[in-house]
Amino acid sequence: MQDRPNAAELAQAVREFIETEVLPGIDDPRLRFRALVAANGLGILEREIALGAPLVRREVGSLARLLGHADPLPEDLEELRRRASELNRELALRIRSGDIPEGTLAHCVATVADKLRVASPRYLERYR
Amino acid sequence: MIFAPRCAFVPLFGADIAIVRLVLLAGGASKEAWALDLRTPQGTRELLVRRAGGGVIHQATLTLEDEHRLLEVAYAAGVRVPRPYGYLGEIAGRPAFVSERVSGETIGRRIVQRPELAGARAALPAQMAEELAKIHAIPAERVPFLGGVGARDVLGRLTNEVDRLEDAHPAIELGLDWARRHAPPQSETVVLHGDLRVGNLAVIATGLGHVLDWEFGHRGDPAEDVAWPLVRAWRFGVDQLRLGGIGEVEPYLERYNALTGRHITLASLDYWEIVGNLKWAIGALTQSRRHLSGQQRSVELAVLGRLAAEMEFELLHLLERAG
Repeated sequence: MQDRPNAAELAQAVREFIETEVLPGIDDPRLRFRALVAANGLGILEREIALGAPLVRREVGSLARLLGHADPLPEDLEELRRRASELNRELALRIRSGDIPEGTLAHCVATVADKLRVASPRYLERYR
Repeated sequence: MIFAPRCAFVPLFGADIAIVRLVLLAGGASKEAWALDLRTPQGTRELLVRRAGGGVIHQATLTLEDEHRLLEVAYAAGVRVPRPYGYLGEIAGRPAFVSERVSGETIGRRIVQRPELAGARAALPAQMAEELAKIHAIPAERVPFLGGVGARDVLGRLTNEVDRLEDAHPAIELGLDWARRHAPPQSETVVLHGDLRVGNLAVIATGLGHVLDWEFGHRGDPAEDVAWPLVRAWRFGVDQLRLGGIGEVEPYLERYNALTGRHITLASLDYWEIVGNLKWAIGALTQSRRHLSGQQRSVELAVLGRLAAEMEFELLHLLERAG
């Protein structure tokens, strides 16, 4: 077991350093923009550490229902991610061949909303 | 950082010149833009050097030489573009050209928000329609290097780009499926700017100063170009103003149709807005792969891979509405 700070706390510490100590001293607008992007990237990482596992579990569950797979969901997170990738490929191929499962649009809306909960939560609020 | 030898500019501006200033500006991700102040016998010229970067966003990006040629043709056709001065060949291993450096606001968020640009925002919709009308009237034989023909061609290119991503994107597949099933019959094919939107215009107090960033020029359905500035990403947060966060669509479309004699419909813009979101979702994913592959390491490109979900969400929202 690693000592604290844990992964999320470490990402947060670096983000806060960029925001409070680095950004105020940058005049070059290009460098400033990239520093903001870097801080945003760390924010994504913080949210992924907090929310990532339940969201990928929800995605795999939804994909399995949509595609009619009854096998139990893996417990291991890496295994879940592999399964999500495989099932997304299967769904993409079904769509490409014109054999679109009932409920695909609703599944995609829910899954992409979950991606935004990690990548860009404020963007999601613009649709309320 | 000085990268360009003075001699590169001698064929265009004569031997009696000196580089006063040369600095890298903020600019597009796939190309460098350098501000160049050149002392000549007629005074100091404020110039812009466009030079190739590490890669391309879409496969269909023009070479710097062709982009410069398109700029020359558009300039001659009376389109408001920075005056092109000449193609420079390769500078330190990468092709480049030089043009007039124009002033004006190019940052999208500022154009849609700044109080002092309210007058510009009121004038922009009609001016954008006017520039598009001029661009779409450029005779295709003057720019024979431009590729593309219409909706089917666009969707084929997008499908190829999706197939190059190593992971699958069901939302994008749904969008491509819808776009194939609803593709309009081939009407006419015209010269398109390919990226005319807020953020690629130099905006001054009176509105549109110059049309910039011609690297995505191609031929295709005029409605593709007319609908592109409607894409939500180009409203820069002012979502309720569907035309680029600055205005309503109807007067813009009416002005375009009146100038060109075309009868582009709102339904046609709805179709091409969906295709536009597909283009930018796939473009963002493709750009992030340039970082991941090591072709161009950049935190900006890396994060763009995650922001593609914004365009996917908008795409799905539009598909829900289209039924």
